[in-house]
Amino acid sequence: MGKRFSYGGDAAGAPRKRAKVVHEAPTSEEVHASRQLRQLLIFDQDPARSRHGLQSFKLFLDELLSADGGIKSERARILRDYLDAEKPAEDDESPVYLPDIMQTWSHAGQTNNDNIMSAVPVVLVLLLRLLSQSLDTVPYGLGICRTLLQKRQQELISRNLAADKGKSFIISPTLRLLREAVSFDGGAIARPLFRARATMLKSLARNMGIVHMGEDKEDTKRPSARTNAIQFFLSAIKYLHPEAKKELLSQRDIVSALTRDVKQDPPYLLKELLTGLKTHIIMDDKVPREAKSNLLNTSTLVRLSALYQYRLDSPAEDEPSIADLAHELLLTVCTNPACGVLRQDSGFYPRELDPNTTIPTAELDDLGLEAVVWMNKFKNDVPVRNFTLSNFLPNLRPWSSVKQSELITSIFRVAPELVANYFLSNKSFTFEPKLSATWIGYAAFLFNTVILPIPENLCRGPSVPELPPPTSIVLDNILPLPLNQKALVRCLEHKSNMIKFFATRIMVVAIEKLDAVIRIYQGTSRSNQTIWNEAARRLVDEFCQRSPGIRNMINACQKIPTQDLLHREAASRLLRLCYEVLPQATLSAKLDVSIHLDAALGRISNQELDDPRDFALGLKELESLLAIAGYSPGMRWFGASKGTTLSPFTQLLKVCAEAPKGVSLKTIQQVLNFVAAEQQLVPGHAGHPRLLPLVEALQTLHQSSPKYASQVWPFLDTCFTHCASKSVKYVEMLQEIAQETAESTGQNIDEALVSPIILAIRDQLPHASKNGGEEVLKGLGRLLPTLLGLSVTVGESRAILSSIFSKMVSDLPDPKGKLVKAGVPEGLQFQHNSWSPTKTKASRPEKNAANSHDAVTSETAIDRETLEGMLHIPDSLEAENSALMKWANKTADELVDEGYATSLIALLASEHASIRKEALVSILKVADKIKPSEYEEKEQVWLLLSELAETAKGNIDDGPLPSTIVAFASHALHIVRDPLHGLYPKVNIFLTRGPYWSLDKLPLVDEILTEEPNVGDAFYTQISWLLTYLIDGLRTAQDLELYHKKRAKGPILERILALAVNPYMRLPLRTQVLRLLYRASGIEGGSTTLTTRFSVMNWLEERRSACADPSEAAVYESLRKRIWETCDQQRVVEWSKEGLP
Amino acid sequence: MSSPEPQQQQQKSQKQVDAEFTSYYLQRATQEFGEALDAVRSADDFKPESSIAVLISALQQGTEMFSEEDKRAVVCSEGAEKSSK
Repeated sequence: MGKRFSYGGDAAGAPRKRAKVVHEAPTSEEVHASRQLRQLLIFDQDPARSRHGLQSFKLFLDELLSADGGIKSERARILRDYLDAEKPAEDDESPVYLPDIMQTWSHAGQTNNDNIMSAVPVVLVLLLRLLSQSLDTVPYGLGICRTLLQKRQQELISRNLAADKGKSFIISPTLRLLREAVSFDGGAIARPLFRARATMLKSLARNMGIVHMGEDKEDTKRPSARTNAIQFFLSAIKYLHPEAKKELLSQRDIVSALTRDVKQDPPYLLKELLTGLKTHIIMDDKVPREAKSNLLNTSTLVRLSALYQYRLDSPAEDEPSIADLAHELLLTVCTNPACGVLRQDSGFYPRELDPNTTIPTAELDDLGLEAVVWMNKFKNDVPVRNFTLSNFLPNLRPWSSVKQSELITSIFRVAPELVANYFLSNKSFTFEPKLSATWIGYAAFLFNTVILPIPENLCRGPSVPELPPPTSIVLDNILPLPLNQKALVRCLEHKSNMIKFFATRIMVVAIEKLDAVIRIYQGTSRSNQTIWNEAARRLVDEFCQRSPGIRNMINACQKIPTQDLLHREAASRLLRLCYEVLPQATLSAKLDVSIHLDAALGRISNQELDDPRDFALGLKELESLLAIAGYSPGMRWFGASKGTTLSPFTQLLKVCAEAPKGVSLKTIQQVLNFVAAEQQLVPGHAGHPRLLPLVEALQTLHQSSPKYASQVWPFLDTCFTHCASKSVKYVEMLQEIAQETAESTGQNIDEALVSPIILAIRDQLPHASKNGGEEVLKGLGRLLPTLLGLSVTVGESRAILSSIFSKMVSDLPDPKGKLVKAGVPEGLQFQHNSWSPTKTKASRPEKNAANSHDAVTSETAIDRETLEGMLHIPDSLEAENSALMKWANKTADELVDEGYATSLIALLASEHASIRKEALVSILKVADKIKPSEYEEKEQVWLLLSELAETAKGNIDDGPLPSTIVAFASHALHIVRDPLHGLYPKVNIFLTRGPYWSLDKLPLVDEILTEEPNVGDAFYTQISWLLTYLIDGLRTAQDLELYHKKRAKGPILERILALAVNPYMRLPLRTQVLRLLYRASGIEGGSTTLTTRFSVMNWLEERRSACADPSEAAVYESLRKRIWETCDQQRVVEWSKEGLP
Repeated sequence: MSSPEPQQQQQKSQKQVDAEFTSYYLQRATQEFGEALDAVRSADDFKPESSIAVLISALQQGTEMFSEEDKRAVVCSEGAEKSSK
């Protein structure tokens, strides 16, 4: 089809074009008299003359408004005279003010004269503005406003407002007129004006959409129709009563138009809009909540949030920007429940869920956490009460703006239910590491989310509910979904240290939060505490699955540059938290903490850190490493490692002695004291201040003669090592010296007390010159009198110390005999450390220790439930028959790694023969399935399962397989799948020894207890594994028999009790031994056997009295009580010849 | 057994301590991660008007991990004494 051609403008077929509006400028004249003004404004059908009159009036009003005095000026008399002359009669029922102008307007309406329809509101606006300036003229202004409310004028206003969109020159002055009217005389006619809303608000929403066109900024002198409409709306809400506001806000089109174009609005208008909405609606208590909700719907919030990117303003330095104002408004709106958006939620419990439902105890006992139907329901979707906020949040960009991040986290703080919901609905944004501003912003946002507080009582209610919250929701609050294992591992392995640092910090705060949650779970004892305990375990398990493994953390820690103190501090703190909060997870990899400790000590004790703040930060790292060392049974405190000259203990002491003033050394001194007391360097009695005299003496020496102070360390190091390794020798030496002193002085010093370390120094002093010559001896000559003097001050035996000192002097350089003459100084006071002599008197250690012990025990006595909470371990072999069905469709990896095989193994200890037989068949099938699979450790797993099956064959017809065998198989399975495990060689040697196992023996016990560990200091890790398996393997009276049966190297239980006396064994392992005893005490006849065969009552009493920590002593006491309560008391009394209880 | 606290330490208000610790933390962080920060500054998504604030806020949020006591210990320690190695 060919193109059409136009043949001329007036052709009938020519396209219709909109007629071009030509605004001819009206004529005008200057006003000199009221009579002239009246003539000018008198109604005239000639539009040109009418415009002439109105334009002259406008210019006259403009002049008055800009002149000094305004309506009160001399020239304004012309206007006042005119208005007086035009005033309607007082008895008129519906008086029409300015009748000529109104008639001119009306005529213009009839004749469609746009210019006059625009000019009339223009002059009325100016006139009202002028009249509002004086109280005298206000009544006249009110008269004009009321005239506007009359039907004829209403129609004219309505018509003006509904003019074509292009006729802003009519719409804008009309909106300005309404704005003047509604706010005239403090909103005097706001109410009647709102009653006439059908006309007065006509096309308001549409007019709000007539925005400024063009690339230039909107001219403040020629505001767009939208600007005028918004300003009218804001004036209206300022003066309208709450009900009217509610009605106004129920008009969706207006509410929607209000914010639709905010992005292009001029700054001054936005300032008015944001302040107006806040003052007159959002913060107005009288406006009903639902009205506010109507205004603050999701789209309003989204549009307001677009102002975060608003760039049209250029605020002064002390002035808030539009983005600031919008942020402030959004913060208020979204976090203050009175604003109609925020709804009360239940913290970690989603909507429509009753956390206080009563579930029958039997059901809870049978099914555990599975009895709570909704426990696993919210993994993919979390229903929330705050749906407006839930829809709004995904529109924000927290990674690119600090304020938006702050807004979201502030919302999370008041509506915690949104955290899980938010990350579930924003899965697309990953935490995949990249050195970009976006990644860092996102990491910062996630950090801020993780550190949010835990909702009060988990549910934001007055008390913790009956049932624990869904695990997935709690976990999403601790480690939000983007922080998954894969992403976090990649962060920790990233080449950029900053990315590692950010991931480390997030992990630190996440584990701290996990710890806090677990404490709530374990909180006060509840009737259904077992459910909470199970929930806590599940939470920890799932956390471990989402977090990087300890191996990744250790690797990341090892690669941190030495000088990166912040990073090192965070990384060491992360490791420490793992050891404290997730001890099970730390078993999978070995951390040689002494290497890190040496390095950190070296940096600090060699004063590599110039800035004292760096030094203090270095101490924080050291504190974490020391804590880890405390959890590592293999930590070697004495004896220097490769490349260092001093042992960790001595280095630590050096740090204390040389630390700058003001640095807190509390933790380090605690560790030193603990190690010193444990290794018998100093007395362990309650009143003795441990190493304090030595620390004080070293500090004094360091300050008075630093040159000598630096010389004594190698010698002291030798003394510490000797003292720790030969403690008996020094105890005997003390006794000898005490006896000698008693004989020579005639004093009774039976209860004498002297720190063994002083004896070791005395013992090593003759060899001191080997460690640095004369300088060392000079240093010691200054140090030792102070040390001994301070020892006397804290209550050690003066007589013995004097005797020791007199022997020491012979080895010290003392040409003039000053030292001999001075003897042990008297009345030395502590200058650097606080020590109060009245606080404790150590002169009678035995008695004091016993007294304090009793006092402490009575204070910290443990009740039955607390003891159960500490020592009870749930039966891990408890039969779950569904395991027979669950494994069938699983892959080899899942069978081994996700515990399906272990569940089947446990069924061999089932009470029911049929279950046991079926389990055996299943185990054989599983072994067959794994053997040809791709699973890496298939051979070993197959061998283990086959040997177990071979052992079970023929032995499960009459009764369950011994729990020891079943427990061993379950725990051994974890080892054969991990070739890096310390026990891997031993287990494999055991498996290759024969095709089946003796039911009578406990596998691997001998190998672990007596043979050297295959890997370095893995002995205690292996003991930990052994104890776990022994606890799980002790369930019935038959099992107990295996534990006390006579064997070549003694009954198993006896060997375990002996093991616990090992002074190097740390609290966690000692507690495991107590757990084993607790388990035995729950078996029928168990406590009686423990007492009569192993004298466990005496053993516990001994442990209690040897124990320095009162809380641990209380556990021994409490366990002793339980064994007494559960044993055959009559028999025990007879057996002990009434020596017990 | 703790060292007697110097008077200066007592005098500083918590606000001062917070401010000084934050400034120290930022200074250390920029020192430790200077190279990475330069790389971020030349990344495609870096916008001077907003990204700088994001970076600073991200770095300094680590101060939240320190207790008030720890912060005080760091900023109130007196001059480190040098001793011969």
